Amino acid sequence: MSLSKSVTGSLLSAPTVLYMAVFFIVPSLILFAYSFWSAASYQVVPDFVLKNYLGSLTSPLFWKVTFNAISIGLWTATITLILAIPVAYYLVYVARSQTILYLILLTWFSSYLVRIYAWRTLLGTNGVLNTVLLQLGIIDHPVGAFLFSSFAVTITLVHIYLPFCILLVVASLSEIKRDLIDAARDLGTSSIGAFCKVIAPNAANGLIGAFMLTFILVAGDYVTPQMLGGSSGQTTGLLIADQFRKTGNWPLGAAQAFLMFLVSLAIYFALLTAGRMSGLVVHRPRKKKEA
Amino acid sequence: MKAPTPIIEIRDGKKSFGSFVALENINLTIHEGEILTLLGPSGCGKTTLMRLIAGFEGLTSGTLRVSGEDVAAVPPERRPVNMVFQRYALFPHLDVFENVAFGLKVKGLAKSEITERVKRMLHIVQLESLANRYIDELSGGQCQRVALARALVNEPKVLLLDEPLAALDLKIRQHMLAEMKRIHAETGATFIYVTHDQDEAMILSDRVVLMEKGRIVQIDRPEDMYARPKSLFAAKFLGETNLFETAVADSGAQGTVAKTASGIGFLSRNGAGHKAGDKVVVSIRPESFSFANNDEGSSQKTQGQVEDVVFIGSRSFYTVRLDDQAKIRIQVQRNGRVKPPEPGSRATIYWDADNVVMLPQA
Repeated sequence: MSLSKSVTGSLLSAPTVLYMAVFFIVPSLILFAYSFWSAASYQVVPDFVLKNYLGSLTSPLFWKVTFNAISIGLWTATITLILAIPVAYYLVYVARSQTILYLILLTWFSSYLVRIYAWRTLLGTNGVLNTVLLQLGIIDHPVGAFLFSSFAVTITLVHIYLPFCILLVVASLSEIKRDLIDAARDLGTSSIGAFCKVIAPNAANGLIGAFMLTFILVAGDYVTPQMLGGSSGQTTGLLIADQFRKTGNWPLGAAQAFLMFLVSLAIYFALLTAGRMSGLVVHRPRKKKEA
Repeated sequence: MKAPTPIIEIRDGKKSFGSFVALENINLTIHEGEILTLLGPSGCGKTTLMRLIAGFEGLTSGTLRVSGEDVAAVPPERRPVNMVFQRYALFPHLDVFENVAFGLKVKGLAKSEITERVKRMLHIVQLESLANRYIDELSGGQCQRVALARALVNEPKVLLLDEPLAALDLKIRQHMLAEMKRIHAETGATFIYVTHDQDEAMILSDRVVLMEKGRIVQIDRPEDMYARPKSLFAAKFLGETNLFETAVADSGAQGTVAKTASGIGFLSRNGAGHKAGDKVVVSIRPESFSFANNDEGSSQKTQGQVEDVVFIGSRSFYTVRLDDQAKIRIQVQRNGRVKPPEPGSRATIYWDADNVVMLPQA
């Protein structure tokens, strides 16, 4: 006896679908409902108001921290992707062993918080960077601005999310055969030309995916900005977390979470449109084959 | 006919990857306009040799010249050579037209010229109607034509073809072979064709370069290589053959005579260079044996028992057990006049001294 393909497919995916439905979709819907409720003295009251959204949209603080989060996210994702592409190219097309890939995975064995503290040590007033610069005579007193700046936040987030981004880029390049590079070179392009004209367009969706996933994770990260960002470390993630933890205004936090979600979505589509307009992402109209 | 102009010359070429020697003692001159096949079993170095010519690999030692110029320092994008890849390596993000136009665009030609040349090339490979299709909407044979067109549109001096028909089924393969000959005639480019398929090599080539374990074993016209293999490997690799372990008994003006241990004698007119007492392997093709004595003067004969007949239309294959128990295969062309022997019957087998090839033992 054999099951039809659709039945087999449903059975195989059922546990995940069920899990995601119970622990992601339902909570998200509850959160969405909350975003229209109102809060009074640490109590959530069922209601239907738009003030959580309207209040956030008209609040300068919300826009300031959202701008912070997006700017940190875009910078980090851009730098991470630029650093990840050559490594992934090397791993997919040049290296014959997987050792380096395993070494990259190994970095995940170190704790997130430990790495943040490591950067505090490196960048602090008595940190490695200041000491070296002092010794070299480049500066005559420790620079405090290394720490508690968007520079510190970005450098740390790049460090944390780079391995993740490399894996995503490796996955998207792996689907593109080495032959295509040879063919492009055979037809007159340099190696860099071959990457730009053949690899990048074919990997574009994967590369945008890697960028966006890194962006979303970074823009939503509120621990690193909080611990290393100083006054510039106020991000939407932290603001939202505060609504839930400190102020107890769950409806406002929920509304802000959904606004952040919409902002991320908008950035994704902006990126995709830019990619298509520049010709980097090829939009293939799927023609129906004649029967 | 004027003397052929060399277009590619390799002298004492050697290529190693680490401690592995992929190619050694490569001396090869390829002439302008010919179809040359690099033939050999997988791992013999034929693909490496082609990648050297394309510029994807560099020689470890020796020289490689294209049109007289040493190209050691010339990267693939600046060689007057284009390649058709085994798996085509067509660009999935471009349609047929754009794939073919790729090389011309990189060269920065005017748009009108690109359009004109691509259209002409698509006409040659008969793909005009599919110009706007994407690669995943094409059949294997169509992909093959796009790959050919994409390479040929650049008007390369040399076209390299890396087992271009390996991924196609038999029927399309035969059709594409004929197409390839036609396109060769139409473009006049030099074709270097890599294959492990002896039939493709025979059908297509002006000359065949037979390779084994990183070395060139023999370079010859296909018919010469088939009729006069210079080694046991060549005799076995090209076509089918019957082999006999023998020792040279006599070498004289009328030819060389060698005998098997059981006493069957072979007179050969192709055995010069072997002296009495030498161990040689005698190779006779199945079609060189006959059940009828055609030529009283030079025919030699022995006797055996017909064991099996396989009839395949115009030809039949006979398995005959000789009196010393050796089995031979005989191919007989269908012929109304001569009645071939029945299975189980005894038969006399004839052959001609011209078709006896003596080879040194491997």
